[in-house]
Amino acid sequence: MERRRRINMVLFLGPAVLIVGLFFVLPVLVDIAISFTDLGRDLRVTEITTDNYERALGFGDVRPDRQLPGVIARTVIYVGCTLLIFNTTFGLLLALATTSLPSGSGAFFRAVWLLPRMSPSVVYGILWIWSVHGGDTSLVNQIMMGVFGYEKPIDLRQLYPMVVIIIANGFIGASFAMIILTSAIRGIPEHLYHAARCDGAGSFALIRHITLPQLRWPLTYILIWQTLSLMVSFEYILLITGGGPFRATTVYAIFIFQRAFSASGQYAYGAALTFFLILPGIVLALFLWRVSNMRKLMQQPRIEVH
Amino acid sequence: MADVASLAAAAQGQEHWDRLAARSARERRMRRGFLYVFLILASLPVMVPYFWLGTLAFSAHLSGVDTRVLWPSIFILVPSVLLTWLWAIAARTPRQALIGWAVIWVVAIAIFAVVVGPSLHLGNFRFLYNPNFNAENENIVAAEDNPGFSATSFPWVWTAFANSLIIAGGATLIVIIVASLAGYYISRFQYRFRTTSLAAMLILHAFPATVLLIPIFILMWQLGLLNTLFAIVLVIVGIELPFAVFIMKGFFDAVPWEIEMSALTDGATRRQAFFKVVLPQVVNGMIAVSVFVFIRGWEEFVFVLVLSTQQAKWTMSLYTFFVVEENSLGVDYGLVSAVAVFYILPSFVLYTLAQKYLLQMTVSGVKG
Repeated sequence: MERRRRINMVLFLGPAVLIVGLFFVLPVLVDIAISFTDLGRDLRVTEITTDNYERALGFGDVRPDRQLPGVIARTVIYVGCTLLIFNTTFGLLLALATTSLPSGSGAFFRAVWLLPRMSPSVVYGILWIWSVHGGDTSLVNQIMMGVFGYEKPIDLRQLYPMVVIIIANGFIGASFAMIILTSAIRGIPEHLYHAARCDGAGSFALIRHITLPQLRWPLTYILIWQTLSLMVSFEYILLITGGGPFRATTVYAIFIFQRAFSASGQYAYGAALTFFLILPGIVLALFLWRVSNMRKLMQQPRIEVH
Repeated sequence: MADVASLAAAAQGQEHWDRLAARSARERRMRRGFLYVFLILASLPVMVPYFWLGTLAFSAHLSGVDTRVLWPSIFILVPSVLLTWLWAIAARTPRQALIGWAVIWVVAIAIFAVVVGPSLHLGNFRFLYNPNFNAENENIVAAEDNPGFSATSFPWVWTAFANSLIIAGGATLIVIIVASLAGYYISRFQYRFRTTSLAAMLILHAFPATVLLIPIFILMWQLGLLNTLFAIVLVIVGIELPFAVFIMKGFFDAVPWEIEMSALTDGATRRQAFFKVVLPQVVNGMIAVSVFVFIRGWEEFVFVLVLSTQQAKWTMSLYTFFVVEENSLGVDYGLVSAVAVFYILPSFVLYTLAQKYLLQMTVSGVKG
């Protein structure tokens, strides 16, 4: 019996544990190990050192990485603005608006907003480049010059690179909140609304006092999850602005990527920088666990046979 | 006398109610109108670029970008949609509505055929049947006004297509098997770290894998898996597995215990009950997870870029990326659009077909 129980456990859980160990636990350990070496372009370790951390933070007479403060500031602006404007507020607006329309129209607009999420990143990147590039054929310039009578084309990627990447990521992020909140709003019992109506509540009072309080947990969940994914996302930035112009959109994740893969091949330094990203990642993920009610999701097994 | 007075009062009351009803109907119409205007305006920045991509793929010619097709199409399409919508409100019978719509769209298509029709062609899709399209591009472009232009040789698009298919399909297959097993065990068995293991799945899903780009690169290099499709399959499996286990566990929770019990009473072992009785109940969940993982694998870009350098291992994402690189200066918008449309199509089709399954997924008590 006991043996059978063990075999079942290995059979059912084993593969998942193996894969998770291989792709999450092992890489974290490898990352920490690499960060204490001088692994570079030639993929050879010659010494064990703490140079990478000294280089990043600055100890003694080593000065801290000159670019880091700017990179961190840009990351905070990028994550904060995208998160607050698009991934939560705008997503919530979309969910509220589409759920108050007849279901067909609502589904249509939700489908439109899912387009960016469904399209492969490379395609989404081209669409953005074609829309905002500095030539007079870009979509923005056609409208600016054709409708608003601008004489010269404008280059949004040069003028407002940060705004471009915030909106580009926001359009994708908004749909995440939209979907989760739409289902959450649909799950709110109808009778709450009827009761509030009887008490004389208007549309805004309904949203303020019935809908929003019910969305607290999904919103917390979205907030934490999206913070995490924004902190490490660089795919779209890489494709649209490449971190430029003059590092204006070089956020932390793309900074690591450039250090390790683009030109310099400083894998060890990249690994050390990654370590600083793993820490908040683990902390936020644990916080997500705290606020979620895991017990509630577990039902007692009613069969004890193995 | 009393009768007349009460009748008058009743009439007045009725009038009052009518006014109220009319006002509330008006307010509702206004609110709905406002919502439509908001949603349409907010969605335009998303809709127009995609629409442009579509028109370019079927109309653009070599050397130069054009929007000659975009704006006329919009000027034809938008009024037609508006008219359709207005007619849906105005029409009194379904038959009237159908006739009206038919008239509107026949006229719209006729205008479209006359104004835009002549510019439409399928030439941009030549990359599908001509492996050497880029070398031919080189001759044409160089002959025109870019003497220094030299074309990279691309692998054939179907090689990239097959690679993407192998990666997405392989990852989907592995994830669905492993996630079904683990989801079932977490959902149905009592063991020591049961809650912890579910929480771990949630945490790992939230924990972003792109952070681990460098260590995964080093690991793959150590394992000698650089430049293999298998490495990318493994990475995608690793990234998507926690989420898949979580979702599958939710689907297993919804399967009634009774059918499993009756299977056991009939003499099945737990494993047999799982394969023959429980698994068929969660087919919807397996479809949802498969679609999700497949689309994810289909679009993977960063890990492919980092883990493979040989052209023979290019996926559709890298293929598209390099076609863009080559033509980003306005050399061949039509080709880029056609490749993009070809690349995007499978995701769209899958997504549309599977939408009803995707909406059944629950994320940690939150439907999504």
